[in-house]
Amino acid sequence: MALLEVEDLRVAFGASTAVDGVSFAVDEGKVVGLVGESGCGKSVTSLAVMGLLPKGRPAKGRKASQPVQAAASEPVGPAGGGLKAAAAVPQAAPATGRRSRRGGGADVSGRAAFDGVDLLSLAPAAMRRRRGRDLAMIFQDPLSSLNPVVPIGRQITEVLERHRGLKGDKAAKEAAHLLDRVGIPDPTRRLKEYPHQLSGGMRQRVLIAIAVACAPRLLIADEPTTALDVTIQAQILELLKDLVDTEGTALLMITHDLGVVAGLCDEVNVLYSGRVVESAPVRELFARPTHPYTIGLLGSIPRLDLGIHEPLTPIRGSIADVIRWKDGCAFAPRCDRVAEACVAGEPALRGDLHAHRCVRAEEIA
Amino acid sequence: MLRYTVKRLLQLSVALLGLSLLLFAWFKALPGGPENRLLPENATDQQREALRASLGLDDPVWVQYGEFLGRIVRFDFGSSLSSGRPVATELADRLPATIELSLAAMVIAVGIGIPLGYLAAKRRGTWLDFTAVSGSLLGTCIPIFFLAAMLKVVFAQELGLLPTAFRLSAGAQYTDVTGLRVLDGLITGEFDVAWDALLHLVLPAIALSSIPLAVIVRITRASVLDVVGEDYVRTADAKGLKPATIRGRHVMRNAMLPIATIIGLLLGSLFAGAVLTESVFAFGGIGSFVYQATTERDYPALMGFILVIAVFYVVINLIVDLSYGFLDPRVRVRK
Repeated sequence: MALLEVEDLRVAFGASTAVDGVSFAVDEGKVVGLVGESGCGKSVTSLAVMGLLPKGRPAKGRKASQPVQAAASEPVGPAGGGLKAAAAVPQAAPATGRRSRRGGGADVSGRAAFDGVDLLSLAPAAMRRRRGRDLAMIFQDPLSSLNPVVPIGRQITEVLERHRGLKGDKAAKEAAHLLDRVGIPDPTRRLKEYPHQLSGGMRQRVLIAIAVACAPRLLIADEPTTALDVTIQAQILELLKDLVDTEGTALLMITHDLGVVAGLCDEVNVLYSGRVVESAPVRELFARPTHPYTIGLLGSIPRLDLGIHEPLTPIRGSIADVIRWKDGCAFAPRCDRVAEACVAGEPALRGDLHAHRCVRAEEIA
Repeated sequence: MLRYTVKRLLQLSVALLGLSLLLFAWFKALPGGPENRLLPENATDQQREALRASLGLDDPVWVQYGEFLGRIVRFDFGSSLSSGRPVATELADRLPATIELSLAAMVIAVGIGIPLGYLAAKRRGTWLDFTAVSGSLLGTCIPIFFLAAMLKVVFAQELGLLPTAFRLSAGAQYTDVTGLRVLDGLITGEFDVAWDALLHLVLPAIALSSIPLAVIVRITRASVLDVVGEDYVRTADAKGLKPATIRGRHVMRNAMLPIATIIGLLLGSLFAGAVLTESVFAFGGIGSFVYQATTERDYPALMGFILVIAVFYVVINLIVDLSYGFLDPRVRVRK
């Protein structure tokens, strides 16, 4: 049994569906990538697993398994507060990113079994005991993800205090050790410093130190390198790889960067418009991309071996050009290989180890 | 931190100097110089000239300003025209009552306003939020003297729950230490006096707290709403911290920054705004003195009052600035 098994996860913000039946699994000690462009639902997926989405109305609570479209009667916009993914989703209300007046809670359904326990149906207090201990998260923006008025030492020791019962000098010592572990020089002095006194790379290291403080079995990293310089990106990825290799931590890597995927992941799930469109072991995916979206993503990577005057090949259109999955392939409006069959109904995810959601896969290959 | 403090002090003394210049100009611009007030109406022009010379009113303006500055630095505002006593003494006698009243009002406003604003933010869109927001709108709309009079009529006169006026019951014996009666009672161990003073303080303090309470509720609500959407609050949540820890360490510590500023400004305005409340409850503070001085054109008294209020504002601003440095490490380090 996998450490984390996500089954048919659905997340809706009012009338707009951000995640539309996503399933994947993360094995112990493995690195699994969730890949896709902004708004495909990858961040929302990770927040749902962590239980960090603003709560929806209790009547349609977490265990509810009816289709999410049922919530369409309430005209709320997508939730704000960093849930950028909700903004560009198919049926998203025009009020992009604006907070709805009544909190704009998320309706979450499906299953996210961690070690056999469904995280989505856990009581909030029970989930709080697990968060930061069994599963931890590293966020995208190290500049805004640390509290500006609390010394970083305290921001580390509070996790140690909460989950490992360490206090005072013991906690400070362990915090210094953690900073040292993530490659911050002179850790004892750094403990007293505030986030604004550290560089972006340093702050991301601090966030990683916080995340690994209780040796979690699952680490979720939501675009941990997006806000950093390229050289720092490499260092941070190296650090994550090292942590996974030495501690045996499972890592769910959320990224839009296929370079990161190639260097780090064992398996990849490509998301488009709230659904998995292709999933495969990493080598297989790069060797035989099947879904036109994956092919497009790979084609749009700048290549060193092409002349500087060669134009890049982008995927045409934008993620806003979609049709609803039940009417056909959501990617069809942007697809170069689109045919009648593509919009004739809901495309199924086919295949086992290397699965894809394209009715014309065989013709394309 | 020391550098920051010194810098702030220098800036504040410049502000005070500017104020003294304004006051001096105002004083000069008043029609009919003091000689008309001091001499009988049938005085000759020669007598007037002589008095003007002896008062130094014929000296160059900058010399006069220098002397004026010298006097106010020594808290010498001259004598009140109506009572004949030195203005400084009059103010010193009445200041403690106003300070006590303002502080009591602020304790109410902060004690209720911050928790209420927090709850309104956390339960945004519920009846509680609606009540808090519309209540605070009402609070800023009701004129203070009306509210004070209504409180007095209902709770003191009709229901007889609390005293109608003054700072202590008639004939009460007390020992003066700080002039703040409740505090004095606690210091000297005269708890009956402290209790009596507290009862007399309740209604005026509630009346005076209405506006700051309303403002604090709104600022707190807005500030908390701002902060709970921040990424670092989500990080705190992702750590699995207890809700109380998230609230105290991560939300409120950041939300307090704008609230602290507003509290400082409000305290200054309370001090000046106590005039109306004090006159309704015959509280015997600076307010009734100023009211009298205004109606009788007692300029030295008014000038003394304005200066005291200005110094008060300036000191509070300094405290707010320093507390900002304490609350926000980013301010502390900035050169």
